[in-house]
Amino acid sequence: MGIHKEISRRDFVISTAVVGGGLAITATWSGAFAASGSTTPWATPTPANVGEFTPWLTIAPDDTVTVRVNSPDLGNGIVTQFAMTMTEELECDWDKVRVEYASATRDYLEGGVYSKGGGLSYFSGRSTSPGKMEIMLQVGASARERLKAAAAEQWGGVPVSEIEAKKSVLTHKPSGRTLRYGEVAVKAAAIKLETEPKPKPQSEWTFLGKASPAKLQISMITNGSLVYGIDVREPDMLYAAILQSPVHGGKLKSYDFDKIKGLPGVRGVAVVDPSEPRKMADDKVKSPFPLGLSAPQSAIAVIADHYWQAKVALDALPVEWDDGPGAQWKTTEQLNKAAYDAIQKPGSKVELTRGNTLEIIDKQAKVVEGTYLTPFNDHVTMEPLNGTARVTADRVDVWHPSQHSQQGFYIAAEETGLPLEKVFFHQTWVGTGFGRRVYGDDVRMVVAVAKKFPGRPVQVIWSREESIRQGRFRALMATKLKAGLDKDGMPVAFTSYSAGAKGFSVRGIPDGAYGVSIIPNVHITSEVLNTHFLTGPYRGPGYNSSAFFMETFTDEMALAAGIDPLEYRLRLYAKWPDAGWTKCLKEVAAKANWGKSLPKGRGQGIAISNWGMGGKPEAGTTVACVAEVEVSKKGDLKIVALDVSFDTGRIVNEDAIRAQVEGGAIFGVNMTLNEGLHIKDGRIVEGNYDQYPMVRMADIPKTIGVHFGGLSGHDRMGEIGEPPVGPIGPAIGNAIFRATGKRLRTTPFREHDLSWA
Amino acid sequence: MATALKVNGKQYTVDADPSTPMLWILRDNLNMTGTKFGCGIAQCGACTVHMNGEAVRSCQLPLEAAANAEITTIEGLTSDNKHPLQQLWAEMNVPQCGYCQAGMLMAAAALLKDKPNPTDEDIDNYVTNICRCGTYPRVRAAIHRAATMLKS
Ligand code: FES
Ligand code: FES
Repeated sequence: MGIHKEISRRDFVISTAVVGGGLAITATWSGAFAASGSTTPWATPTPANVGEFTPWLTIAPDDTVTVRVNSPDLGNGIVTQFAMTMTEELECDWDKVRVEYASATRDYLEGGVYSKGGGLSYFSGRSTSPGKMEIMLQVGASARERLKAAAAEQWGGVPVSEIEAKKSVLTHKPSGRTLRYGEVAVKAAAIKLETEPKPKPQSEWTFLGKASPAKLQISMITNGSLVYGIDVREPDMLYAAILQSPVHGGKLKSYDFDKIKGLPGVRGVAVVDPSEPRKMADDKVKSPFPLGLSAPQSAIAVIADHYWQAKVALDALPVEWDDGPGAQWKTTEQLNKAAYDAIQKPGSKVELTRGNTLEIIDKQAKVVEGTYLTPFNDHVTMEPLNGTARVTADRVDVWHPSQHSQQGFYIAAEETGLPLEKVFFHQTWVGTGFGRRVYGDDVRMVVAVAKKFPGRPVQVIWSREESIRQGRFRALMATKLKAGLDKDGMPVAFTSYSAGAKGFSVRGIPDGAYGVSIIPNVHITSEVLNTHFLTGPYRGPGYNSSAFFMETFTDEMALAAGIDPLEYRLRLYAKWPDAGWTKCLKEVAAKANWGKSLPKGRGQGIAISNWGMGGKPEAGTTVACVAEVEVSKKGDLKIVALDVSFDTGRIVNEDAIRAQVEGGAIFGVNMTLNEGLHIKDGRIVEGNYDQYPMVRMADIPKTIGVHFGGLSGHDRMGEIGEPPVGPIGPAIGNAIFRATGKRLRTTPFREHDLSWA
Repeated sequence: MATALKVNGKQYTVDADPSTPMLWILRDNLNMTGTKFGCGIAQCGACTVHMNGEAVRSCQLPLEAAANAEITTIEGLTSDNKHPLQQLWAEMNVPQCGYCQAGMLMAAAALLKDKPNPTDEDIDNYVTNICRCGTYPRVRAAIHRAATMLKS
């Protein structure tokens, strides 16, 4: 784990009083607002009887340890992982540990106390990034030593070396005297050490990497008390139901408020006008992502005393839209055809070219070709988009289920024009994200609506239909792949011509192992279609589509070469300087009993992909999957088994990893079998689960085999949230081919006739 | 219009349009936010509560139909978080984001009342809730274990 360059050991542990960056700010974090209840996760100022060791850590008189975390937990266990890392060094009682979300406002007011090293990597992203782990370990070690020093003082100056810290108790070994952490926390927090302790090496960890405790918030999930964005309840709160231009980029033409103004509870409407001027009070500060990514859509919201009243009134409100240029995309077929047409020839952008591909490709022993397409998908966050804001002349408060609270903080500042020290962003728990809540267009809309009703908190809730149709979709993408195989059946030349809706990412193809080095001659291009649909990151930008294309195609190459698909991949990746790939393949094949004999209608398929490698071996996370399917003669598909192996390098929490792989695999099943949005007159057709189905309990295997034998032990801890999704779809598709002889080159599979005779 | 309700053993009177779904009555009028909104069309199960002991999707249950019934929400499943399902949910690390889990627990609790020895098929049929995080294998395993726990 490398030391973060910008920050010295000392900087982690200095106390809080620094006020930021030479700015003339008189506001302080404490005194900004009152503390709130314990099921709300946003940080509130530390009371005087609680010891604040650094902005990351406090200890209360009753020994409660509060760890402040800046990345939201989306179900991935990230806050628990942070707290475990801190606990490893702090030697506190795990049962006394709780977490809070660090405040972006405080970060700003106190000179970047939570974000030194850059916004993006700090208020979002994973818990195992070396920089974050290092901070937690250092803060824990320092607090432990300061607690010992405070106890030593209390005991009349006994040598610190005679004191042991364990399970939140300090023991003077020679005399047997004890003190609880909470008894000396305030005193300890004020101590400055001569030299900061060095965290122990990983080999001496006793908790991290050993224990797999349940997530810290589980008890609040099981009794229903955990506060998600939609559960925020502020005094005097109003509710809003929102409707944005059904064709993205369109404009509100007219509406007739008179028709609804007598309905129960209705207070009024708020119109969001994208052309209204918006400006940061301080335009020198830089947000983690460009603020333009959260640009507002033309919208109208009805505000009422209760949400149901707002929704009923909105449904009854006559509204007319000017659709704008997006209406040119009349049907799904029209858009698919545009994509297919565009990939018949090289695209205008060359992504990667090597060797003399175009001259030699057709002269090889065999030529394999295939055309593939993946549609627009929505994240379908389980908690529909929502948020709450109160705007007054001199302050804005936002309570939000964000995936990046620092980005949301800047957006709220721009939308209100208030200076940053008057913006208070309170991060709530989040009911899934998958990338949907990163750019903050949802934050923007909430503040834009609430500012029309100044002085009262307004909770804006997207209906499920609105949440899906106003997504920031995974972009539609098509590709034509072609390979020239030598006499041994292995590829020597490869072309990939891709086209996609605005915002699509082709990078999985040039950055994958084929692109980087396995095939000597490659030519990879792309072309962007002129579409208006709003797009965004979806569990690994571009990754899932390219994994589906490349791994389906690899199977087609293996078939043409007459070589078993596993054997073919082992030969291909033998040339790739990252042993984790073949290790994962062998592991998953062994565990799934690859090659067992199956009757017609049953089949196994294999696939492998990597997210995060960025064109490099021994980077990112490699995942391999073997799927077994059964297809009835009528064409009903059943997934019989899914086995997954992976290589993140190393891991720290086995059960947390297992849960993530299971969840990722199920997400992959749904994406491949079910998900695809359709278009009519520039609008998205699907609105709710009746049209955009989700897999349920009965649709997936009873257990998902998660196998750890693919781990290479390489010195990295790759992330595990996004990678498992990639190989699932192609493994299932390849299995369907073996079961039925039908090759599926587009998703979702539910649109294909799988019947066989 | 005032309607009398009994939720988690307590009497309430709410003043709302009688056609308002119980989901919103619970969340907005009674401030019981454990019951979640997921779809509003009886598809996802996030809003599952018990009415007279049976699992129902409260987004499709009008206030007037709930009057005079015994409604139980996640907040009232137990007072101490110690239902075998709640305990196993923690022990087996079932939830991921947790948003669907109140509905899962209410559906599972109703199943166990009806069928103390549920088969895999019973689970498939009773617990048809959607979980976008993909906790299905753990939900299934925890229900089986809870059934064993309840027997002893
Ligand atoms: S919200 Fe009631 S079933 Fe989805
Ligand atoms: S646990 Fe997140 S949706 Fe089920």
